[in-house]
Amino acid sequence: MAQQLAIIVLVDVGSALESRTLTGNTYLFDNMKLQGSVNQGTGELVTAVNGAYWSDGSQAGEQVLNWLPYSLGSIPPTVPRGYHTTRARQADQEALAELAALANRPSANGDTDAALARIQKSVGTRVRTTARTRALSGQKVLDVTGQVVSDHGQGAHSYPAPVITDIFGEAVDEKIIYPAEYGSPDLVTDGWYWSATVDTSRPGTYVYKMRIQLHELIQRAGDWTWEPVNLTCESKLRITSQPRRNGFTGAGVGYLPIAPATFA
Amino acid sequence: MKPQVNIAVVVDVIGALSDRTLQGGNLCLIDDGAFDSKGQGTPGLCTVVTPGQVVQWSALAVDLQTPVEIRSITFLGADEGASVTEYAGEGEGEGEGAAPAGGRAEGRQLDLNVWSGVVPYFMTPGVPYRYRLELQMYEGEHSVLHIDSPALMCL
Repeated sequence: MAQQLAIIVLVDVGSALESRTLTGNTYLFDNMKLQGSVNQGTGELVTAVNGAYWSDGSQAGEQVLNWLPYSLGSIPPTVPRGYHTTRARQADQEALAELAALANRPSANGDTDAALARIQKSVGTRVRTTARTRALSGQKVLDVTGQVVSDHGQGAHSYPAPVITDIFGEAVDEKIIYPAEYGSPDLVTDGWYWSATVDTSRPGTYVYKMRIQLHELIQRAGDWTWEPVNLTCESKLRITSQPRRNGFTGAGVGYLPIAPATFA
Repeated sequence: MKPQVNIAVVVDVIGALSDRTLQGGNLCLIDDGAFDSKGQGTPGLCTVVTPGQVVQWSALAVDLQTPVEIRSITFLGADEGASVTEYAGEGEGEGEGAAPAGGRAEGRQLDLNVWSGVVPYFMTPGVPYRYRLELQMYEGEHSVLHIDSPALMCL
């Protein structure tokens, strides 16, 4: 059917960073199961793209592919845009209130150190700004439930969503797909998405690769930063093409099948 | 006179599947005929045509990522659909054995159909010839819905 085709690239970010590979840590889905896509929900997805042509051989209709990267182990992309900022500000306000309460208490209580340590924990960690990770900088590290995280050794933090930075490989080299990144008003996709039109005139199975950027929380010179990690994974497209035909006759166009006798 | 009249079948697939009906705003029919067709934008569209014109139906999904295809268009008898003339797309069913591997056979390759035909010369002017429009939205038990309300009428 002629709906737009969506390919979901679900990445287990934590495991992928640990093993430094997307193989075995990527799960691909598309909405073309009915049309013959196989291996849904695995890294071996083969997306079926069914083309059609007119009797003169020209392509009838265009198939459009869309890719959406999703993440396992992240705050869902559907939370409001300012969620990270709001959570960070709230943590700061709580810490200030606790500090004020501490300052107003009679001094030399002995448990001041413990109270300060607790406040430090609730303040969390702000990530240092670097040129390469500007969009992620200045934010606090949160876990998947939106709580600030101060102990990064546990790996309990939420990862930034994976970003597709390129689509390339055989299908592109052979000019089967024409991918490009487009701006989008949909902030669930971070304002950008990858899309491609498909040349269905040359049936066959073609491999394409996706370069995916993940981010790893690293401590450098005492500061925590999100370091980009580029990995690639691949998937396949199976292109078929069949001739268009008339729905009433199964062949060429004819008179509409209206029975004259019925209306006599 | 326009040589071709296009009828767009616009479907809110999610609405139709949820309500299990094409009524209630889940389907609207629009044509670009030169004459005064009645019921534009409703399931009761009566398209005014002249003999020899080509009429072409196309299904469009409101949400581009939802699947919808025309499964059949069947002209009904004069007595309100009691005798349905069986003219459903002949491409259905027969070609399935020859279908390529994969799921396209279940989808009945409906996307390959072009629903067009020439208005015959024997239609009585001023009489609406109603037809059953059957739509398929993905697959499964409740995936096929139809309406009997639209019609063609000769000027």
